[in-house]
Amino acid sequence: MRKKLIPYLLVSPYIIYFLVFVAFPVGFSVYLTFNNWNIISPMEFAGLSNYKRLFNDALFRKAVVNTLIFLVIHIPFQIVIALFLAELLNQKIKFRGFFRAAFFLPVIVSGVVVTILWQQLYGFDTGLLNRVLVKIGFAKIGWLTDPNWAMPSIAVMATWKNVGLYVILFLVGLQTVPPQYYEAAELEGATHLQKFFRITLPIINPTIFMVIVLSTIGGFSLFIEPYVMTGGGPLNSTVSAVLYIYKQGFFYHHMGYAATLGFFFALLILSVVMIQKKFVEKDK
Amino acid sequence: MKSIKKILPLFVFALVVSCSSDSQTRDAKIIYWSSNNTEEIEFARYIVEKWNQKNPEEKIMFQPVPEGQSSEEVILAAVVGKTTPDIYSNMWEGDVESYARAGVLVALDTLDGFMDFLHERCDSAVIADVTSPDGHIYQIPWKINPIMLLYNSNAIKEIGFAEPPKTYSDFFNASKKFQRDNDGDGYVDRWFGYAEVLVTWWQRFFDFYPLYLAASNGAPLVKNNKAVFNNEAGVKVFEFLRVMYKRNYFPKERLSARQDVFLDGVIATRFTGPWEISHTEKFKPARFKYDFHPMPVPDNHSGNVYTYGDPKNIVIFKTCLDPPLAWKFLKYALSEENDLKFLEITNQLPHRKNLDTNPKYAGYFAKNSKMKVFAEQAKYVKGTDQSPVLKEVFDLISQEYEACVIYGKKTPREALNDAEKAVNLLFLK
Amino acid sequence: MKKIILYSVLLIGSITFLYPFVWMLGASFAPENEISNLVFLPSSFTFGSYLQMFEKIPIGKAFINSMIVASTITFGVLVFGSMVGYALSRLEFKGRSLIFYIIIFTMTLPFQITLIPQYILIVKFGWIDSYTGLILPYLMNALAIIMFRQYFKTIPQDLIDAARIDGCGELKIIFRILWPNSIPALVTVGIITFMASWNEVLWPLIVIRDENLMTMPQLVTLFAVGGRAESQLGVKLAAAVILALPIVAAYVFFQKYFIQSMASSGMKE
Repeated sequence: MRKKLIPYLLVSPYIIYFLVFVAFPVGFSVYLTFNNWNIISPMEFAGLSNYKRLFNDALFRKAVVNTLIFLVIHIPFQIVIALFLAELLNQKIKFRGFFRAAFFLPVIVSGVVVTILWQQLYGFDTGLLNRVLVKIGFAKIGWLTDPNWAMPSIAVMATWKNVGLYVILFLVGLQTVPPQYYEAAELEGATHLQKFFRITLPIINPTIFMVIVLSTIGGFSLFIEPYVMTGGGPLNSTVSAVLYIYKQGFFYHHMGYAATLGFFFALLILSVVMIQKKFVEKDK
Repeated sequence: MKSIKKILPLFVFALVVSCSSDSQTRDAKIIYWSSNNTEEIEFARYIVEKWNQKNPEEKIMFQPVPEGQSSEEVILAAVVGKTTPDIYSNMWEGDVESYARAGVLVALDTLDGFMDFLHERCDSAVIADVTSPDGHIYQIPWKINPIMLLYNSNAIKEIGFAEPPKTYSDFFNASKKFQRDNDGDGYVDRWFGYAEVLVTWWQRFFDFYPLYLAASNGAPLVKNNKAVFNNEAGVKVFEFLRVMYKRNYFPKERLSARQDVFLDGVIATRFTGPWEISHTEKFKPARFKYDFHPMPVPDNHSGNVYTYGDPKNIVIFKTCLDPPLAWKFLKYALSEENDLKFLEITNQLPHRKNLDTNPKYAGYFAKNSKMKVFAEQAKYVKGTDQSPVLKEVFDLISQEYEACVIYGKKTPREALNDAEKAVNLLFLK
Repeated sequence: MKKIILYSVLLIGSITFLYPFVWMLGASFAPENEISNLVFLPSSFTFGSYLQMFEKIPIGKAFINSMIVASTITFGVLVFGSMVGYALSRLEFKGRSLIFYIIIFTMTLPFQITLIPQYILIVKFGWIDSYTGLILPYLMNALAIIMFRQYFKTIPQDLIDAARIDGCGELKIIFRILWPNSIPALVTVGIITFMASWNEVLWPLIVIRDENLMTMPQLVTLFAVGGRAESQLGVKLAAAVILALPIVAAYVFFQKYFIQSMASSGMKE
């Protein structure tokens, strides 16, 4: 009897954790979406009004679109750069360890540090980037103050921060390509690019999809960068979905509405990831 | 089982240690939370000690609000957890109404002698300001920090002005003269003033709202669950600021991410409160001179110049077991005598009438001439309207403010129309 | 020729990643009025920004808080993760695959959905402003469980059988037999967990308001966003440097493990 109980005892911490911190919150979240609640007053039943509000909330729509814009810039950019750098590192070179370590450094540093730092680089008047631009005869760019530039700027920064991780992942993938393939291709006189597209790319395809999925999930939780750098401005061009949920919940204490936003947004993420997974499986 | 016995205690210990934070012994009759600003703590300590000496039977216990980022959040958590203090002395006026509606505040007008006290302390406008729409009063006006125009005296002199600009036209003239491109790269790097460009709702306390109060002689933003800010004054303020940004008299960049631009001479003015005095004194370069002046007004403005007073008030929570005693203590703490002490220790203004003419305070203002300017302004300050959705109102105005004033995407009329519509929707719910 | 291009591209690449940090370090030691023109290193070094920062925010305390929180979480994740991972990989019981699928499912569940209710839970339990509120929701980690499950599968059954014959209980098997043979898994899970909790900002922002309990990234975030740096830029940068320092120092020493751990955490997804 005791023997039979042991496995359950071992997994019991997880079961408790799951019930308290996953199952209950998810259930409660669904319940909250049908209520209005500012935490201090009693809950009020709201029917479907939170959902109605969500579908009429232009700012939330904008926040979701902003997040998607971020992803659309961030992901391709990240994959191309990461692949490029990984390809370079995969050559016969000295100091590979150093280069790899350098590329990886921003990955381990807190996002807060990165945002404080880049806020300085992106400054309009005294920022390093604009000083360089003016020196070489270009016009200054409102990296964080121009509504058209702000989100791309944040996406570039995020790429800078995360790309090192994906370089490593690709490097692992590249090393699984059998060298004979390249040798054979060289005998047939294939160029570098041909080798890359014909041999490398098909083999590391799974890695690419994994990177897409990983950075999609990461990108959907975009929060600290706009929170520190722009506060969501200019003209709400950098309000991310999570920032908006945070604002509704913890600024205005619209707990019911914030839960509705969170719930809806989570479904959105799940479906995007599902679609991506479908693609991966098809490809296999 | 042995090995886990070795590991778990450590772990449990860490948890237990971490949990034992909220174990205050309640030997005092009343618990009082002050703000956690150093000077205010000093004052609270002083006043509580004095009271406890005089009233050993009715001891007050004081602690600064356990605050990190925002005291509002702490109070909210305390309300939810039913761990509110008896007295809290740093309540933003705009928050009171929602707490009052949640039924966690004591209606002070039901306490003995409260109305007499209030009439003696404040004039009728202030009393009207703090009266809830339900007719009760849940807060005692305590202190104010009026928003005024801070200016660099040397810079004003340098551009040939004898005194700081008073009207919007003056402002444009001065701005034009002060604006400069230092390094010849075709970009302005010296602006006449600066206002924070973030849309965060409370940023408008330091630009739009005081300017609006000045232009409208202290008109409300919302009244009887309706937006009332879409008027001439509102349009003029939006137009004024819009021009300031359009002509690059104000920078669109967030200078707050840079070093102190006012002390650096990069800007010559800003809208701010008396707290700037101690900061400026601490960091100012040699020969730096500065002063304060009321907010700028439209050219044809007549009457006194109002501004936002950033009032912080005192409330008694319903968790208090002995509200009359709490009230007795507060009456004592807010006496004329102790208000002087408050002024001396904190350099913030007690929210009471005739501050600048009351002989009791004359000595202090003679010594602190910059504070005297604020005391004179104190006659013409407004708080915020009593509405449970005030933050959202400011947020909606701020959204339109950004679109119109900073980015010029809308005319002032359009922006205010849109803001009015959105705010009225808020009340419909 | 080709080599030269290759190396210069790599060099430019590494400068892109390293230079901002060098600039930040230099700026944090520069006199306040030099920062806006700084390109590389300041003309004179000063500790002024650091001294001011230490005066303004309890960064030392925040360091200790972060340390306590991150270590406790890491420790908990290692202990609980290996317990559950062991049960799932080496023991037979009813519902095993159900639990496994639940774990996989929670991995795909975005945190946005549980954020608000978890906050309310913490409020109702009275864990606002306590280490408990920071730690408890993170003690369990699906990824860690999966990684332990995978790794424990590779350990020979003989080892476990031998221990059973010696009369070891299941816990003893996990911590005495499996742990010493699973160092790579422990290191990987440990580093990932520690780094993630060390760098976490959103949850502390929500749960902690008492400055004395704030974690380092939270304190520095609020310092950078709020007005308390009194517009002194150097002070903000100094705070950022101090925040980056512990992890970077660990990284310099254990670089290989960091990179391997992060890479394998990505692979498992």
